[in-house]
Amino acid sequence: MKVKIVSVSVLDQEKALKFYTEKLGFIKKKDIPLSEGNRWLTVVSNEEPDGTEILLEPAPNHFEPSKVYQKALFDAGIPFTQFDVDNVDEEYKRLVERGVEFSMNPTVMGTAKFAVFNDTCGNNIQIVEEL
Amino acid sequence: MTFYEQEIRRIRNLLYSNQFQIDTVIATKNFIDGNSEKDLNLNLLSKILFTSKYHLQRLFKRHYGLTPKQYLINIRINKSKELMKKGVSVTETCFAVGFESLGSFSSLFKSRTGRPPIQYIKEQLSRSN
Repeated sequence: MKVKIVSVSVLDQEKALKFYTEKLGFIKKKDIPLSEGNRWLTVVSNEEPDGTEILLEPAPNHFEPSKVYQKALFDAGIPFTQFDVDNVDEEYKRLVERGVEFSMNPTVMGTAKFAVFNDTCGNNIQIVEEL
Repeated sequence: MTFYEQEIRRIRNLLYSNQFQIDTVIATKNFIDGNSEKDLNLNLLSKILFTSKYHLQRLFKRHYGLTPKQYLINIRINKSKELMKKGVSVTETCFAVGFESLGSFSSLFKSRTGRPPIQYIKEQLSRSN
C-alpha cells in the first residue's frame, strides 16, 4: 500500500483551488470533470511536485454529516490537517502579507512550533516546524 | 482564543514544563543537523551537551520519537538522495554524507526507502529522460 492522496473537504472547489495555488503556492496536479459540476481536483506542494496529492473534495456539499463535522472542527479552531514548513515565522509572515487570516499565531510547544490559518473553504490548516 | 489554542496551552503546561530539557534536545538535534557528515556518536553528543548519554538518548527519543542515531541516519539518507539526484555516484555519496562503509549505506538506504541506492539512481535517470 502507498499513500498517494489525502483529502481536504472544501465548501467550494474553485475557491479552494485559487486559495491553495495563489495563496499557499501549491500546483494543480489533476483536474478531471465529474458529474453535476464536481471535479476530481488535486494539488501538490511546489517543493514536492511528485509528493502526496491533496484531493480538494466537495464532501460537505453532498453529505450533511461531513458539513457538520467540518463546521464543528472549524468553530473549535481545530486544524483539519497540517503541512510541514522549514520556518513557521517566515511562512506566517509570507501568508499574512497575502491576506491569509490566522486563528493561532506562531506558538511553541516542546520541540515544535506551529500556527493555524483559515483556508477560506471551511477548514483550519496548521503549519508545523520541528525545532 | 479558540478551544484548540486553549488546549495547546493546557497540554504545554502539563508536558513541557522543563524548558532546560527541551533546550538540550533541540541543541542536540541542531548539532546533528549541522554535523551529520562527521563521525558522531552518543559519547560525543553527551559531552558537548554536558549530560549523561543514556539520559540524552531517552530525552531525544521522547521528544523526537527517534534515537539520535536513528535521526542521524535519516538525515544522511535524505542528503544522499539529494546528491544522487544530482548525479553523484553511490560510493561518493556514501562517504560524502558520513557513512563509513558501502555495505551499511546500501542496507540502511534500502531499509528506509525500499530499494538499494543504485536502483534509486536508475529511477532518477529514467525520470529525467
